Amino acid sequence: MNKITININGEERTLEVKSNLRLLDLIREDLALTGTKEGCGVGECGACTVIMNGEAVNSCLVMATQADGATIETVENLEKSAPELQESFVEHGAIQCGFCTPGMLMSAKALLDKVPNPSDMQIKTALEGNMCRCTGYIPIMKSVKEASKKIKK
Amino acid sequence: MKKVVGTKVKRLDAYEKVTGKAIYGDDINLPKMLHAAVRHADIPAGKILKIDTTKAKNLKGVVSVLLHDDIPTVKKVGPIRRDHNVIVKDSVHFIGDVIAIVAAETLETARKAADLIEIEYEEEQGIFDPREALKPESKLIHPEYKSNLVVHYPLRKGNVEEAFEKAESSDDEIIFERDYKTPYQEHAAIEPEVVIAEPNHQVKGVDVYGSIQNPFTTRKVVSIFTDLKLNQVNIIGSTMGGSFGGKDDIINVMACRAVALSLATNRPVKLAYTREQAMKEGYKRHPYFLNYKLAVNKNGKIKAMKINIVADSGAYSSQSFFVTWRSVVQATGPYEIENVQTDIKAAYTNKPYTAAFRGFGSPQIIFAQESMMDELANELGLTPYEIRKINGFKQGSKTASGQALTEHKVSLMEVIDIALEKADYHNKLKEFEKYNKTSRRFKKGIGFSCSYRGSSLGAEGVDTTSAIVSVQADGSSYIMTGLNENGQGLRTTYAMVVAETLGCTMEDIQFLTSQTANIADGGPTVASRGTIAGGNAVKDACDKIKANIFSVIKETFNVTEMTELVWADNKITNPQTKQEINFADAVQMTLNEGINTSAYGWWKSPDVSWDKETGQGNAYFTYVYGCQVAETQVDTSTGKIDMLNMVAAHDLGRVINRTGAEGQVYGGVAQGIGYGLLENYSVQNGIVKSENFDEYLLPTIKDIPNIDAILVENPDKYGPYGAKSLGEPTLELGAAAINNSVKFALKKKYNANPLTLERVFLGKDLVKKVRQSEVVSKERCEVPNINSKSNSETVPEKTTDRVSDINITVAKTLKEALEIMSNKKHWIISGGTDVIVQLRKEKYHKELLDISQIKELKITNEIDGNIVIGSACTFSSLIDNELIQKHYPLFIDGISLIGSTQIRSRATIGGNLVNAAPCADSVPSLFVYDASVKIESTEGSKIVKLSDFILGSYKNILGENEILTQIIIPIPKDKKYYRYFFKLGRRNALNITRMSIATMMSFDDNNKIDEVYIMPGSVFAKFQRLTNLEEFLVGKEFTTDLIEKVIALLDEKLESEIGGRWSSPYKIPVFKNMLRDALLTILEEK
Ligand code: FES
Ligand code: FES
Repeated sequence: MNKITININGEERTLEVKSNLRLLDLIREDLALTGTKEGCGVGECGACTVIMNGEAVNSCLVMATQADGATIETVENLEKSAPELQESFVEHGAIQCGFCTPGMLMSAKALLDKVPNPSDMQIKTALEGNMCRCTGYIPIMKSVKEASKKIKK
Repeated sequence: MKKVVGTKVKRLDAYEKVTGKAIYGDDINLPKMLHAAVRHADIPAGKILKIDTTKAKNLKGVVSVLLHDDIPTVKKVGPIRRDHNVIVKDSVHFIGDVIAIVAAETLETARKAADLIEIEYEEEQGIFDPREALKPESKLIHPEYKSNLVVHYPLRKGNVEEAFEKAESSDDEIIFERDYKTPYQEHAAIEPEVVIAEPNHQVKGVDVYGSIQNPFTTRKVVSIFTDLKLNQVNIIGSTMGGSFGGKDDIINVMACRAVALSLATNRPVKLAYTREQAMKEGYKRHPYFLNYKLAVNKNGKIKAMKINIVADSGAYSSQSFFVTWRSVVQATGPYEIENVQTDIKAAYTNKPYTAAFRGFGSPQIIFAQESMMDELANELGLTPYEIRKINGFKQGSKTASGQALTEHKVSLMEVIDIALEKADYHNKLKEFEKYNKTSRRFKKGIGFSCSYRGSSLGAEGVDTTSAIVSVQADGSSYIMTGLNENGQGLRTTYAMVVAETLGCTMEDIQFLTSQTANIADGGPTVASRGTIAGGNAVKDACDKIKANIFSVIKETFNVTEMTELVWADNKITNPQTKQEINFADAVQMTLNEGINTSAYGWWKSPDVSWDKETGQGNAYFTYVYGCQVAETQVDTSTGKIDMLNMVAAHDLGRVINRTGAEGQVYGGVAQGIGYGLLENYSVQNGIVKSENFDEYLLPTIKDIPNIDAILVENPDKYGPYGAKSLGEPTLELGAAAINNSVKFALKKKYNANPLTLERVFLGKDLVKKVRQSEVVSKERCEVPNINSKSNSETVPEKTTDRVSDINITVAKTLKEALEIMSNKKHWIISGGTDVIVQLRKEKYHKELLDISQIKELKITNEIDGNIVIGSACTFSSLIDNELIQKHYPLFIDGISLIGSTQIRSRATIGGNLVNAAPCADSVPSLFVYDASVKIESTEGSKIVKLSDFILGSYKNILGENEILTQIIIPIPKDKKYYRYFFKLGRRNALNITRMSIATMMSFDDNNKIDEVYIMPGSVFAKFQRLTNLEEFLVGKEFTTDLIEKVIALLDEKLESEIGGRWSSPYKIPVFKNMLRDALLTILEEK
């Protein structure tokens, strides 16, 4: 057991965590934020992507203990922090089954926080670790691009 | 008036999905819920001699362990043939068989208990090739069926033998024969399989939740398995994280297991699979072996076609009966041929079984037949377009099964023409031909494929479905249907049908997730029948409600015919008199009269027919047509293919939701690209080698080109508003189109997909002989990483990959970390991107020391002509670092291509070096820049050259108590360096480096080579600069001649050091090409 303090979606939390708990488990089980998904457990699908200290990370490849002191944002916070991005996904058909969507949104959010007006290549690089089996990525690309225009305004 | 059908509509379930509120199977946690685990077989074929569950049962927290004999009821299930044991008894048919199931208080306890079950086997030689299985002398996989043949469908039209004889004796005709092979394909829905079962005391039965594609099928299977009546089993599907045909049979057997445990414990039980388990046990697309023989008139008319296909059914028959039936119907492709003889057989093997997957028996035959059409055209001196024009279906054409295509618009040539025009096909042929003549390294190609496809189930079985529409007093309504939302957007489509038919607005319609207990069996959500079948049932319900309402309001309007009124925009209007009534008021009036405004909709397909002996009949009541055009660029140095563009034209009858329809096209095309280029689910001797997404490669966002989705509309009389189907045709064409495109680019033909690097470059795949269990590093190369240390007590193998038995100590300062290391051996964890992946396979307890939070290890500074990088610096931080950007561009080139953005935000430079994987992308450029590393312990510190630090693959000089703390790189001289970095991988992101090259050069005032560095990655057993090549080059004038000389030197070195390895027939010539490309690029730049 290790004691950690994290800032999750703007809220400070202190928790006792088991050594074998991954950040993903902490989020889904201990914090009951089930929006973040697990698709592979080995860093290859991006469904578990959250923003940790400003950067998109695979929460399946971070041990909960390692998140001590970190600021974490999950999909549950986006209504507050990036509604334009969510609307854009809805608008342009970027969602089918939706299982990749939380991860996609978090990768896109991390990008737009850093690069408000990204090039196509920058968007692709930001999303290269997020697999989507349904949409063929085309609508997702478009959604992020359109969202970046809206956010700028 | 606002039309709904055909517009772009937002998905009904979009909001919950962008907010994380949608509830998928694994998000369900019920009070007092137990967690289940399965124990899979450890061998692909053999007898089970003994199972000992004592240790498992004694583990604290274990509530139930069940074996085959503990199940009191029916043990075998299957859609047609019940050959699939939910829990096997005494024989193993494939590596994904389940031998025991466990329920425990926690997931970890359940999985640990599964590990603790001791099983003794007598392994037998398995059969891994279906052609082998069909030989009379072969061992029987399921002896009770007396043959390994699962099913054989013949089709006979005309007289093929006579036609061949005629062709042989005629100067005007030729015989043309080809063989093709298609691979397994994994559905790879991003959500792995999960089910939850809960006792339902009210009905003395069970409720089942989860990622369930076909709730009514699951209900039937569970009911058979448990002996419960259908009305005692209620299936409540959760939001589906993708299916593509993949969450049917596997979910049904998982549901049986969860139900068995739930009934045994009288508690809710969740059974969730890891990706590895899903990949291992889940069924796949059938691999096919196909032989096509044609008699063709020299002017291009195909006179006869004889087709022999063997399908690999794997360990169970499952859906093979249905999948291969579609193949036999469509095997000729959309071509009218007088004489056809097709035989398709499916056979058992000791491999993962095969069943439904989007496309359902068509991608295989299309790959073969459409590749063949291009080869045939080539042979006859015709164009691919001409050969299709000559033979392609026209209005009234007769199919191979003798069905006259008269009841719908036959739009084959229409979709081909539209697609080719959009792709500018005819001009590009010429343009690329010209380009390829002059381009040394890259060649461009364009090619297409076309198909026809029967909509819905056809003569496969009873084709009906159900829907309920209930309009409330305020005009709002809800829909429930017997078909399932699997992510494809059915809910939205159905709501649009309701809105269009009743004239109400989308906002007033709710779609309720159906349960099997509250609607009639709607059949399976398969065969792209969602729109045509379910849409018709929904429309049927709406029409009934409309008739009821009309019976009341017609007097108000003073009309007699429904057609006199317009229902739109929440109003009912008489356009003649302009009189109107709000829809809600009309509903209220109807209810006031005591008339129902809810209705049950039902749809039954028009009649179809099939003769089993001859394969003749009207197989489907309507067909759709499609054409896809692929543009590719091939790197002839390596065999790597890049997609440049895809055009997909599909006649879908009528568009309901444009956004949804286009989405289907994009998604299907992407899966087709995967099938054509990347996805090969590898099973060697019955052992699954593609365990997770690092081995089974899905296309990333960087692998998908622009896709032009063209929706062609020829409304069908049987479809709701004329709509037919779209989901599957979009996937079935890509692989063949890509193959034809590559064939054009290289003037070579390929008879198997996917077009891997080796297949394109050598014409065949190479097989490596490494056990999957040995390969554990994230940055996998060819060399196994064996990290497990033996331990005195016997620890069982891990049967489920997971992070389990570890302890983490966190160090906040370097001093603290060094002290901890001096006391006790620890695995160091920093970014974790390699370590956590390794931990999932590690069976022994591990003590970890986390150094990721040590600030002093995260600093990068300039000190005395060096840049000093802390070992815990992440790659992202280095890529963004101005000092690094300024001095080490070659290093930036290399590390920018590591993993993905998420990986780079965590992976550290120290971790990459300590791991010492031969494919580590940070190493080659650091060798070029002559980096050193600092190693510290409580006893002191030392600085060693990186080249001395890494001893070999996954080996370094680090002592047990030491930590790598810094990377020290001299600042290069201030002069012009030319550089080139190239990393070869199969796809364009998240790659395992197959090989890489880092090169840097400078020139003196006389234009002679001054300095040169050549550093390969993942080529030799040990990292090494090619110093003999470098020495040869220094002082010489840089010319193409010189380059060829140095390549000859390289050839000697490669042959002597890596010649004879399994991979060398590919690696040696390709690495030579890579060096040539490197030097030529620099020469050009200069
Ligand atoms: S679950 Fe973390 S990357 Fe797939
Ligand atoms: S929407 Fe299904 S995986 Fe992306």
